[in-house]
Amino acid sequence: MKKTLIIAGFAAMLSSSAMAETIGVTMARFDDNFLTVLRNGIQEMADGMDGVDVQIEDAQDDVARQLDQINNFIASGVDAIIVNAVDTSATEAMTAAAAAAGVPLVYVNREPINVDNLPDNQAFVASNEIESGTLAAFEACKLLRAAGLAGGARGYMLMGQLSNQAAVQRSKDVHDIIGIDMCKFITLIDEQTANWSRDEAQDLMTNWLSAGEHFDVVFANNDEMAIGAIQAMKAAGIDMKDVIVTGVDATQDALLAMQAGDLDVTVFQDAHGQGAGALNAALALANGKEVDQKVYIPFILVTPDNLDQFLSKN
Amino acid sequence: MTDGSHGVGGVTFDASRRRWPNEVNIFAALILIILIFEALGALLMNQSFLFDSRGRFDTIFNEQRLRIIILQVSIIGIIALGVTQVIILGGIDLSSGSVVGATAMITMSFAQVATVNGHPNPKAVFGPELMDLPAIVPVIVGLACGLFAGLVNGLLIAYTRIPPFIATLGMLVSARGVAKWWTKGQPVSFPTEGYAWIGSGMMPVIWFVLLAVLFHLILRYTVYGKHTYAIGSNEEAARMSGIAVDRHKVLVYAIAAMLAAFAAIVLSSKNLTAQSGMGVVYELYAIAMAVIGGVSLAGGRGSIVGTVLGALIFGVIQSGFTFLRLDAFYQEMVMGAIIVGAVVLDQWRQKRAALRS
Repeated sequence: MKKTLIIAGFAAMLSSSAMAETIGVTMARFDDNFLTVLRNGIQEMADGMDGVDVQIEDAQDDVARQLDQINNFIASGVDAIIVNAVDTSATEAMTAAAAAAGVPLVYVNREPINVDNLPDNQAFVASNEIESGTLAAFEACKLLRAAGLAGGARGYMLMGQLSNQAAVQRSKDVHDIIGIDMCKFITLIDEQTANWSRDEAQDLMTNWLSAGEHFDVVFANNDEMAIGAIQAMKAAGIDMKDVIVTGVDATQDALLAMQAGDLDVTVFQDAHGQGAGALNAALALANGKEVDQKVYIPFILVTPDNLDQFLSKN
Repeated sequence: MTDGSHGVGGVTFDASRRRWPNEVNIFAALILIILIFEALGALLMNQSFLFDSRGRFDTIFNEQRLRIIILQVSIIGIIALGVTQVIILGGIDLSSGSVVGATAMITMSFAQVATVNGHPNPKAVFGPELMDLPAIVPVIVGLACGLFAGLVNGLLIAYTRIPPFIATLGMLVSARGVAKWWTKGQPVSFPTEGYAWIGSGMMPVIWFVLLAVLFHLILRYTVYGKHTYAIGSNEEAARMSGIAVDRHKVLVYAIAAMLAAFAAIVLSSKNLTAQSGMGVVYELYAIAMAVIGGVSLAGGRGSIVGTVLGALIFGVIQSGFTFLRLDAFYQEMVMGAIIVGAVVLDQWRQKRAALRS
């Protein structure tokens, strides 16, 4: 009798999950601030929908593990897969595995190398990284001009992990901006990596300060490093009114630093929107609908003027 | 790690054969590295590395650089103090970086303020009844986390007899899991002023120096220290002579993990935030500091003074690289070469000392 009940229970569970749409999600890492907001975007949207189940896995920054997770998703019969790629140059195999099994796949946030020849049932949802670095650097350039420094300004740049596409692109954006006529007056004294980390940025900035060079601007590839630089400058007794500091991400910590008058510029990348967009695309593809193969969620420049709008977002 | 050749009174333990303590060699290496940076600075940057060549300070030194050299290695240095004891014991602790991550997350959750700039704390983990607590609460919570992790490590190693490498590797993976699970990956920010004081300014250096002096004295002059060296030199002999080896191992691993936990408290306070990725690969840097400082991975040999010098070598190199504006890509490559080079040199020196006797 007991046995039958258990079997009946299992059968009920199986049938109820078979009714639902199951989406497998593999994230590059769970401990990243921004990716966590994105992941929550997917989770919260799914929670608000009837009959949508998401199963989210942590690839722990390991390419091989991520491919295994995708194959496991396929084996367990998910309706679609969302991939936040660990390594954007290793996506061919993922695309091939999903295509062979006929399972729709959506890349989110990080642009796969094969983005221009994805099969019909695959798509890419992200923000265009060129915008972020450019928006921040150009705003800094305008602020420096407004401060009367158009005759010459010097700065430092804190770069993210050098193996990461966003770090490379954002740094290149800064170089591009200070190469245009309007912003040529800015020169970089030095550029180094602080691996996206607040602690490393603090130490790096203090090392720079110990050289005693005069500088007017600090470009950081992300907000955490911008905050680290600010903490180091404040510890050295520098008035934050005299230095322009830029970040990217518009995290809560950064917005409060901006409110306190320390951070001047950041850029909002809509993590939540990207997560929701990816889930929408995945559900549409799972139901055989057509979607745009490249969905771009725009970046938004954040300054003290409009920061209030973002305080509860990321 | 009970290699017979490292027995008490064996060739490598015969201090009388050595003309001067090993620490002198390491100190000489430190001076040599500083001189190299001075020379390169004069040559390439037209600026002194450690001296005030631009008249910015009242003293002859570039104070700011001296400070950052020590400050940037203080937190990993605190971990290295514990790792040193574990390695002298003949073990290894791979879990310290992850213990830092987990402890930072849990501790910071008990150190938050309720309001920031007039807004409710956007990163609140608990309700208002657990916010604005006195700083002693998160500190005790943090040390308790360390104690727990250390007891698990120590008990596994001492009583199930699995190799320390495996036991602490397990903790490395599990504790990182705890760090991520605690807030589902969300960072924890905005601590109280009291908590922020712990890691503010040069406080990390003060903690590092105080703890280094404390553990130097303990290792040098107490039974605890003698037993640690004895077990690391020859575990069987130590057991025969009546030392409670298993109990002592648990104690050493517990102390090491509590030092890692304290490092986490200082780190999260210094940064005013805790993130689940904090402390990744710190264990390897801590081990590298100890090894560069002459602590033998075979056990039984090494000292706190050596490890502190090893930490300083790290700090000097890191600041030196930035001073010379060395391309970021080269920095890691050179750093790796220096770590391996230090151990090769140490091996060679040991072999020569053994041959002499």
